[in-house]
Amino acid sequence: MTRGRQRLEPTFANLLLIVLEGAWSIVVGLSVTFINFWRKKVTDRYPHRDPNRNWQPRPGYRGDFALITDKETGKLRCIACQQCQKICPDQCILVVPEGKGKERHPTEFYIDAGLCMYCWLCVEVCPADAITMTPDYETATDNPRKLIRDLDYLRGGVVKASG
Amino acid sequence: MTTETRTRTEELTINMGPQHPSTHGVLRLVLTVDGERVVEVVPHIGYLHSSMEKIAEHLTYQQYLPYADRYDYLNAMGNELAYVMAVEKLLGIQPTPRCQYIRVMMAEMNRIASHLVYFGTLGNDVGAISVFLYCFREREALLDLFEAVSGQRMLYHYFRIGGLRNDLPDDFCDGLAQFLDYFPSRIDEYDRLLTKNRIFRSRMEGVGYLSPEDALSFGVTGPCVRGSGVDYDIRRADAYYIYPQLEFDVPVFAEGDAMARHLVRQEEMRQSVRILQQCVEKLPRGEVNVKVPRRIKPDPGETYARVESPRGELGCYLISDGTEKPYRLHWRAPSFHNMQAYPVMCKDAWIADMVAILGSIDIVLADIDR
Ligand code: SF4
Ligand code: SF4
Repeated sequence: MTRGRQRLEPTFANLLLIVLEGAWSIVVGLSVTFINFWRKKVTDRYPHRDPNRNWQPRPGYRGDFALITDKETGKLRCIACQQCQKICPDQCILVVPEGKGKERHPTEFYIDAGLCMYCWLCVEVCPADAITMTPDYETATDNPRKLIRDLDYLRGGVVKASG
Repeated sequence: MTTETRTRTEELTINMGPQHPSTHGVLRLVLTVDGERVVEVVPHIGYLHSSMEKIAEHLTYQQYLPYADRYDYLNAMGNELAYVMAVEKLLGIQPTPRCQYIRVMMAEMNRIASHLVYFGTLGNDVGAISVFLYCFREREALLDLFEAVSGQRMLYHYFRIGGLRNDLPDDFCDGLAQFLDYFPSRIDEYDRLLTKNRIFRSRMEGVGYLSPEDALSFGVTGPCVRGSGVDYDIRRADAYYIYPQLEFDVPVFAEGDAMARHLVRQEEMRQSVRILQQCVEKLPRGEVNVKVPRRIKPDPGETYARVESPRGELGCYLISDGTEKPYRLHWRAPSFHNMQAYPVMCKDAWIADMVAILGSIDIVLADIDR
């Protein structure tokens, strides 16, 4: 059978070669390690952060949810059209609407952040530009019930001028 | 009086995994060993099965897209690419030139990121831990770029049917160019630290031999088949998107052992850098999205789209029955096919080599089990 490369036979000459070459490899390898020793540190301390290196996610990071409050009217922009509820692949949104026409607004709005996969589809589909995701990534908790975002929680989010 | 002393030997069956640190996920290997020699390996897969294909039948075409990220999580952009290509083929739409460039850039960046994880974990498996740290540092720079474009670090959901979630941020190309400037010198460092290292070479050279015939008959693709001397790359064979306009080489090594597969990946990172440099230079202006209907209802029919993922041929087979949801979706997962050649590679290897061989195939268990 033709086999490509073979392992070195364990003869004395080969063993000597491996030992010498191996020792040289270690020297070369350590020189690389030494270069890296002087490079800039890339790790961050967490959660006891260094105040001088306040890491933040990039703008547009998909973190926790918020409903947008309109600056002028002071009301939520959401028109309770339930589009987000329909598109959500995980079915983790529940919107309970009230009122007709211009008066239509949500009375209940739940997002189960524990089920959510942060896909952004609900934000994309919203016709009123009413829901968004904030760069807040520190949402871990010991109680899964706390992950269910209700209207009060979501209202605390973002205030934006209309338009 | 002479007593004949004969040692009675017998084969032993042992279990490796499912929770073994070097199986890159949950994989159970049932080994039959004769002393330290491996006689037979039977991989048992399925621990990470998440019915990715069945889920598609319950979701609309848009809704399934974030799921596509989630099975070969090291190559999320590549998975999205295969899926959107398949859906766009069904719909008969062609993405805009700028969109094609950005998609190719994302796929190549993800290839580098995936190979970096391969480098790191292989180094870890064979006992060189510092490589792991350096590779993840470089990968971090790429993940930051991904975060800037898509808002997530791992499961991007950046591609959309007919386009992208958004255009590139303004400073993206500068950031990428900066990375591309220093990254080749880092590859040289890995070369000195790992690839040229005598100890590493003794562990990789001549182990896990896979003949080209075996590779082809098992359907092995990607760096594994190119490490066996078969010159086959879908980026060139299919020439999808803008690849025909780009200059790059397809590295092929004929030795067929673990080292050859390793070298293919190392060289591929250099080629990906070349591709990305050309993309940054040539990136055209213009629209990124083409108009698609809000409700995507392809005509009944079937299609197959494939891309070159870091692990090989990643294919997406879709059947539409004219409704909003796919009738059937099937992933041709490269890791699954590459894994089939593993028992052949391990034939007569030492137990200690098995980990190096497994590392050299570069499997992602979530990709195998889907
Ligand atoms: S958040 Fe947007 S999509 Fe969801 S119900 Fe309100 S207006 Fe409709
Ligand atoms: S981000 Fe995706 S999974 Fe999460 S609530 Fe929105 S649509 Fe549902």
